[in-house]
Amino acid sequence: MRFNWSARQRALLLLLFALLQACVATPQTDALLQGDDGTPVVQPRIYLSSTVFYPQSQYQCGPAALATVLTESGVLVEPDELVSQVYLPERQGSLQVEMLATSRRYGRIALPLGGQLTDLMQELEQGRPVLVMQNLGLKSLPQWHYAVAVGYDLANEEILLRSGTVETLRTPMTVFERTWARADHWSVVLLEPGTLPVNSTAQQYFTALASFEQINEDTSEPAWKAGLERWPESELLAMGYSNLLYRKGRLAVAAEILELLLQRNPDYQPARNNLQQIRQQLDEPTAN
Amino acid sequence: MKKAIRSVSVWMLALVFTAGIAFQPSAMAANEGMVTTQQLLSQQQHSENLAKVNAFMSQEKVQQMLTERGVNVEDAKTRIAGLSGAELEQLSLQIDELPAGQGALGFLLFLLVFFMLLDIAGVTDIFPGV
Repeated sequence: MRFNWSARQRALLLLLFALLQACVATPQTDALLQGDDGTPVVQPRIYLSSTVFYPQSQYQCGPAALATVLTESGVLVEPDELVSQVYLPERQGSLQVEMLATSRRYGRIALPLGGQLTDLMQELEQGRPVLVMQNLGLKSLPQWHYAVAVGYDLANEEILLRSGTVETLRTPMTVFERTWARADHWSVVLLEPGTLPVNSTAQQYFTALASFEQINEDTSEPAWKAGLERWPESELLAMGYSNLLYRKGRLAVAAEILELLLQRNPDYQPARNNLQQIRQQLDEPTAN
Repeated sequence: MKKAIRSVSVWMLALVFTAGIAFQPSAMAANEGMVTTQQLLSQQQHSENLAKVNAFMSQEKVQQMLTERGVNVEDAKTRIAGLSGAELEQLSLQIDELPAGQGALGFLLFLLVFFMLLDIAGVTDIFPGV
C-alpha cells in the first residue's frame, strides 16, 4: 500500500502537530534547561534518598504521600492513621484542603509553594521533600494523584518521586511539568514552626501561619518570630506576632512590635488601633 | 399579591437590619476592639479571591462572552467588588473548577482531529471531503 498524501492531508497533519505542540508546551522545563535569564540557579542533581517510602494501597495516594512528608518533617505517622482523616471513599481520593488541614492537626505549617519548578527544586536543595498533586489524565478526564518530589536530575531531565507503589519513580521533567500544570502546579511543604521556606512571600507565609495558628496557638510563637525576622517590613506578620503575645499577656513586647511597625508605616490603621488598646491596658497615657 | 410580597420584603429588610445592629456590639466586645489575626486572614483571603475573579474577568474570551450576553464588563466588575466574602469565595471556587469545562472543549477538538486522522488513514469515513 502506498501513501499518497495530498496537499490538503499534509496541511491537516501540520495543523495536528501544531495543536499537539500547543497542548504539550513545557515553558518551565525549557527555561530551566536553557538557563534563561532570571531562572534561579540550582544544583545539578539532588536525591533525598533517605526519604521514607510508604507504598500506597488502592487509590490511597493521599494518605501515603501525606504520611511521607509528615514523617520527613519529624512527625512519625503511618498512612493507615491518616486514611480516616483525608480519604473520601465515595470519591476514591483526598481533597487538597483536607491534606492541608490534616498537616496542621499534626502540628505542621502547610505552605503552598509558588508553582515554579525551581521553587520545588530549591526546597529539595534544603533537604525538604515536596508534596505535589498531578493530573495524570486529561483536563476533561482527570486522574488526580498525590506524590512526593524527592529529587531531580538536570542532566537527565528527570524529576524523582515517591509515587504510588514505586519507591523511586524517575519521571521526565517535561511529563512532570505537564501533569503538574494540569493540577495548577499544586505543591506544598510542611514546616516545623520556626523553620522557613526558601521561596515564599510574606503574604503566603502569613496565610499559612494564621490558618495553622487557629488550632496550634501553643506552638506558633517561633513561627511568627522567624517570619518577622525574615520579612521585617510585613505588616501582617507584625500584627500576627503582636496579637499572639497580647493573648499570652505579654503586653509590653506586643506593643513594641507595633511601635516598630508604625515607625515604618505610620498610616497602618489596624496597628494604630491595637497599639492604642494595648496602651490603655498597660495604663499608659495614649500618645496616638 | 405584589403588595403582600413587598410587605414581606420590607419585614425581611427590617429583620436583617435589627439583627445586624443587635449582633455588632457583641462581636466587638468579644475581641475587645483589637484587630485579630483571623480578621486579617479573612481580609487577605478576600483580596486574593477578588484578584482571582478580576483576573478571570479581564480575559478577552470572558469579556467577549459577557458582551455577547449584553453585560457591561465595567458594571460587572463594580458588582463583584461589592460581593460579600462568602459570595466571592463561591465565585472563585467556581473559577477553579472551570478548567475542567474548558478542557471538555479541548477534548472535543481532540476527538475531532483524531477522527480526521483516521479518515486520512482510511480507517473511517466520517469526513468524505478530506
